[in-house]
Amino acid sequence: MPDFTDNLKPRYDGTMTLQAERDASAINVNELANHLLSRDGFLERQEKVLRVLSKEKLFKKDQQMNLSRPERYHLGLARAKAIVRITRREGWDHEDYKMCEYLNDEMSPYHLHMTMFVTTVREQGSEEQKKYWMPKILDYSIIGCYAQSELGHGSNVRGLETIAKWDPVKQEFEIHSPYLTASKWWNGAMGRTATHAIVVAQLLLPTRDNPTKYEGFGPQTFIVPIRHAESHQPFKGIAVGDIGPKYGYASMDNGYMLFDHYRVPKSAMLSRYAEVSDETGVLKRHGHTAVVYGSLTFVRGQIIMHARLVLARAVTVAVRYCAVRRQFRDRDSKSDLDEEMKVLDYPTVQIRILPLLATTFALHYTGEMMYSLYHKSRETIEKGDFGPLAELHSASSGLKSLCTMLAADGIETCRRAMGGHGFGGGSGLVGINADYLSKPTVEGDNWMITQQVAAYLIKKMTSAVKNPTAPPTDPTDELFQFYLKNRDHRIPQNVVLSADINDQAIVDVFQWRAADLSFRAYEARVVEKKSWTKLMIQLHTLSRAYSEQILVTTFHNSFNNTTSTLSSPAPAVLRTCFRLYSLYTLDQFASSFTLTTAASANSIYALPDAILDLMADLRPHAVKLVDAWSIPDWLLESALGRSDGKVYEELFDMAHRRNPLNRTTFNPDWRSEEIVLGSGDAGHGLLAKL
Amino acid sequence: MAPTPAWVKKLEPSGPQGHELLAAERAKSNVPVEKLQELLFTKKVIDQKQKVLDVLKSEKVFDKSQNYFAGRTERFETALARAKRLRNLKLKHNWTLDEFRTASELISEPGPYGLHESMFLITLNEQGTPEQRDEFLVKANDYKIIGCYAQTELGHGSNVRGLETTATWDSQDKTFIIHSPHLTASKWWIGSLGRTANYAVVMAQLIVDGKSHGPHPFVVQIRDLKTHEPLENVHVGDIGPKFGYNTMDNGFLLFNKYKVPHISMLARFSRVNPDTNQYVRQGSPSLIYGTLTWVRSTIVMQAGSVLARGVTIATRYSAIRRQFQDRDAPASEVGETPVLNYTMVQIRLLPLLAATFALHFTGKSMMNLYSENQKKMNAKHENANSSRGAGPEETQSGSDILADLHATSCGLKALSSTIAAEGLEVCRRACGGHGYSSFSGIGPWYSDYLPTTTWEGDNYMLTQQVARYLLKSARAVIAGSAPSNDTTAILTSFRSRASIGCAFDILGSSSDLVAAFAWRASFLTFEALKHRDEQGKAWNDLLVDFYRLSKAHSQYMVVKNFYTALQSPETRGAVDQNTLAVLHSLFRLYALHTLEQEGSEFYASGACSKHQISLTRTTTVMALLAEIRPHAIRLVDAWGFDDWVLDSSLGRYDGKVYEDMFYRASELNPLNRITVDPYPDSDVLFRRVEGEGVRSKL
Repeated sequence: MPDFTDNLKPRYDGTMTLQAERDASAINVNELANHLLSRDGFLERQEKVLRVLSKEKLFKKDQQMNLSRPERYHLGLARAKAIVRITRREGWDHEDYKMCEYLNDEMSPYHLHMTMFVTTVREQGSEEQKKYWMPKILDYSIIGCYAQSELGHGSNVRGLETIAKWDPVKQEFEIHSPYLTASKWWNGAMGRTATHAIVVAQLLLPTRDNPTKYEGFGPQTFIVPIRHAESHQPFKGIAVGDIGPKYGYASMDNGYMLFDHYRVPKSAMLSRYAEVSDETGVLKRHGHTAVVYGSLTFVRGQIIMHARLVLARAVTVAVRYCAVRRQFRDRDSKSDLDEEMKVLDYPTVQIRILPLLATTFALHYTGEMMYSLYHKSRETIEKGDFGPLAELHSASSGLKSLCTMLAADGIETCRRAMGGHGFGGGSGLVGINADYLSKPTVEGDNWMITQQVAAYLIKKMTSAVKNPTAPPTDPTDELFQFYLKNRDHRIPQNVVLSADINDQAIVDVFQWRAADLSFRAYEARVVEKKSWTKLMIQLHTLSRAYSEQILVTTFHNSFNNTTSTLSSPAPAVLRTCFRLYSLYTLDQFASSFTLTTAASANSIYALPDAILDLMADLRPHAVKLVDAWSIPDWLLESALGRSDGKVYEELFDMAHRRNPLNRTTFNPDWRSEEIVLGSGDAGHGLLAKL
Repeated sequence: MAPTPAWVKKLEPSGPQGHELLAAERAKSNVPVEKLQELLFTKKVIDQKQKVLDVLKSEKVFDKSQNYFAGRTERFETALARAKRLRNLKLKHNWTLDEFRTASELISEPGPYGLHESMFLITLNEQGTPEQRDEFLVKANDYKIIGCYAQTELGHGSNVRGLETTATWDSQDKTFIIHSPHLTASKWWIGSLGRTANYAVVMAQLIVDGKSHGPHPFVVQIRDLKTHEPLENVHVGDIGPKFGYNTMDNGFLLFNKYKVPHISMLARFSRVNPDTNQYVRQGSPSLIYGTLTWVRSTIVMQAGSVLARGVTIATRYSAIRRQFQDRDAPASEVGETPVLNYTMVQIRLLPLLAATFALHFTGKSMMNLYSENQKKMNAKHENANSSRGAGPEETQSGSDILADLHATSCGLKALSSTIAAEGLEVCRRACGGHGYSSFSGIGPWYSDYLPTTTWEGDNYMLTQQVARYLLKSARAVIAGSAPSNDTTAILTSFRSRASIGCAFDILGSSSDLVAAFAWRASFLTFEALKHRDEQGKAWNDLLVDFYRLSKAHSQYMVVKNFYTALQSPETRGAVDQNTLAVLHSLFRLYALHTLEQEGSEFYASGACSKHQISLTRTTTVMALLAEIRPHAIRLVDAWGFDDWVLDSSLGRYDGKVYEDMFYRASELNPLNRITVDPYPDSDVLFRRVEGEGVRSKL
């Protein structure tokens, strides 16, 4: 309906503002975009898939924040089905399918089917099992999920309570939940969607001497039908359902599931690595699981590559909006005619956003390094030899932890840096924030899994101390040997000296700090025999320091490549990003760098000024740098982050023309029980729902 | 969905049970929960809360069990029904304003009458003339008109002077013309405006005879009192879904040359004379700043209890949730360790537990200071009105201290709301996977609290005000013309020792610990002063320094107030020695954990040595965690949150965590009434929906 608001314009033109920002930087956006995103044809694929999806009405995103939980799932399932059908119609491959999920940007009820479910069958099924199941899975004639974590247990797989008892007479397993806490919990797609589940359960076999007594053989995987193919009702002996609303993931039916002496045939146990012998009833193990660990490193590499895009998205919105938004005139301004400042020119805004912009690149080069290392060593891994991947595998849990945390916290920092509008649905960061926040706890709680890295480093340091001249097998050995040789006469390095920044020294102090913390952990645990629990905080810090060292070193190593392939000023700007990420991190953990005698006190004092200068250098390129991440407007779904700068027009349009609450007139008078004006319903309809 | 089978109903969590674990926790400590709770809130307030709670629990409309499932429109409808009911209950039970506020707090969701009951009434009362109060306030008090407070615009938040809405005086027909010249002039974010209010206080730039006089408040009718439709040339609506606050109809508002009568401009402090068409200022609005200080003190105190909700939930759950066997546990101790025994969990939760008390005592002492000095001020006013001048003993009265409090309160508001918001997220994550479920009760609470970090002044913006004040005080100290208050006292003391240094025994003496915080804040003040006055750096380049400075000063205030509260006879008389010792450990944990986080600033200022910081980290903080650990459950119990208020499976008082999670998922969850068609080849989505159907809303 046309009204007087149609002719109103914002006071400052956002499109011209962003154009001026882009004109002020000489960065070649296309070239940088290709540098960042050419792996597996990402950019072309994004364009191809976007062209198709954005035309489908079902994928329109502008109403989804108004929907209730059951409605969001309804929509999620409809979209999941549509993506499969579109993929078939267009003749797309699996990478295209994944691009659909990325652009659709919500957790699909089919997501677990095409990830954990199919991967587990492929990696842990015997040839025979794969022949039976794989066609059904790829054809979607069954829909699967992966049921590992339980109501009472998450990270600790060995503590799972669900049991699978072998019945040697009937040659069957009996799956059972002895306690309420044994209920499977959180498992995606299980609540309403899946027909089958991979169930992880403690295998119990009767002992030889006394068949009524059982012995545990640890967690094993079973493929279990849970719902009837026709009626979609659960089978008898299974109680399964959705666990209810969550912080995010509204479109996904995370589920619970309990078993009451539920029987499955022998073939249900995935048996590539272990099976129960027909004759003797004992567990026969065969093959090694090294391949699985190889792909775990790959998965973590993928998580980091995803983290960089998620963070890039938040930074894109924040940079563009803060370049358009104005607030207050400069306090030192003398004239009333001066325009209000763009908030991106405030150092208090820069310090929140620009280090995160630099972080997206830091994550990028480490993710890339993990990918190429994985691809290079793939063949040797198949034979069980990790080669150069061994070290990376141990480090990858720490990296995953650090990178997902940087991204999750970064989204929230960006959202808050945008002031009030960041809280609104128009920011586009509300959904992504809520959905991404699961990452720091999903797939191993970030605080828990960092212990693996620390344990690895203590082991490495122990052997370096024992044999300081053994030929080093990897960079960590080299670092530790260097550290042990020099620790008695270490001179703290000057990272910044009278406004000069020394890149080599930056790398050195990050490495030294990691080595020193490793040595202290070694002393505390191995020499002084302190209890593990007492040391946990220290070990967490160690893991973080070690991971930061990898990010910084890898970023530094990328300079050769960027200098030779990118045109000016991109290489210099990337170097500024490297310095900003490093010095910002240094400043945040300044006391850790001084206590480990890594960096000199003088350079710590010089950091705030150096950081301000770096931000001033980076500031003119900010808009073009986020442009290079090539996040389509359709995916951003953000009024504030639009590439054309029409921030206020879009915010108003969302509120005024697309908001269902404005279609209802309410009765605000407290004397009347009526809620919707003219409905004559004295609030009864509402009470019935409560 | 089929009814829950009998074999499921029979299941119990694997042992030890949650209620046993919490009972054992409570038996380990002798902290007197009730006494401590009375120290925090007083017996009177606790009883009153219980009385109101009983009323609310008996009303069906306040039932919370579907809150986490509903969509935006449903949530708003329910909130409106609740707001209406609450008003009825207030009359029925003859509740005082305090009791009414308690009720809102217990319901714990923003309601559509929220801005009517706060800013609308306050503004009419404080800025209206007696005539205007008769015209508007009487009806508003009686809810005959429902109002809101429309200041922020689409393009402008904190900077009131940049507002774009205009109110132009028309000398011909003696009216004001309210107008929105740009799209960015649209009022935006205004609570209660979207669907509920029929009146608004509108802040607009007053223009008289072509000259602008800055922003002024106007009382404007925006909707018809019968049909509730917007009036002509007024365009108003809800701004859509948000991160949280979805029970509130935050709105937008645009005017197209909309005329309002002369009486609309709230004229206590300035008015347009209708006869001469002159703009006249009268009286001083400085009293209003007092209200602002008061509001900020309540934000500080609330931050303590807001955070305490998250800490209560996470601490109770961590005492029940067990994960992994202790690597060093003796073979005799089988079973997994409650995660609260892990130092890694303690270091996240216990400093936050300490912060809840620190913030509570800080807010409380600010409010005390405020009311005492307000009294002195008023007394002085009365004296000034009498013919006799102020005596010498009165010249040091409240005003200096109040000015100090006003300036420093913005920094504290920023620090405390940031601690609370970020602390809640830490609590949520500390609950592991289940923290992500709405049933944790933390997530939804966090998203409703978040705007506090940006409203009443954005937390980053506010820090400039504190810095400006501290620089001014430092200049006065150097010039020897400083008024007497706490800020000038620490700056003076710092200056007197600047050339001989200090040696604070931060680990051995609590008063030294407080002094170290004062030292660091003073050091940063004089550093900033040097940058600005001697080196002539641009204001804009110093903003990050100012942010650090404000944080340092506010941290000093919290540490000092917490320490002072523990020394006060009021506290010492309320609880026994053991409990005092536990509270003292909480104080030291809060202070030392903060000191260790900001280590490099303390070190750089010379407040303590590198070695002391190292010892703090590796030894003292760890020892404090161990001291506080056994009392953790009783300490959160002392906050006295009723289960109905927490609305959390993980934080239940009785520890029946898993039973409640399961009950909510399987019995309360509407999604389980739906049977789907899961295959992509079929267009059918929902085969069967029990009860009400799901409407298609796309």
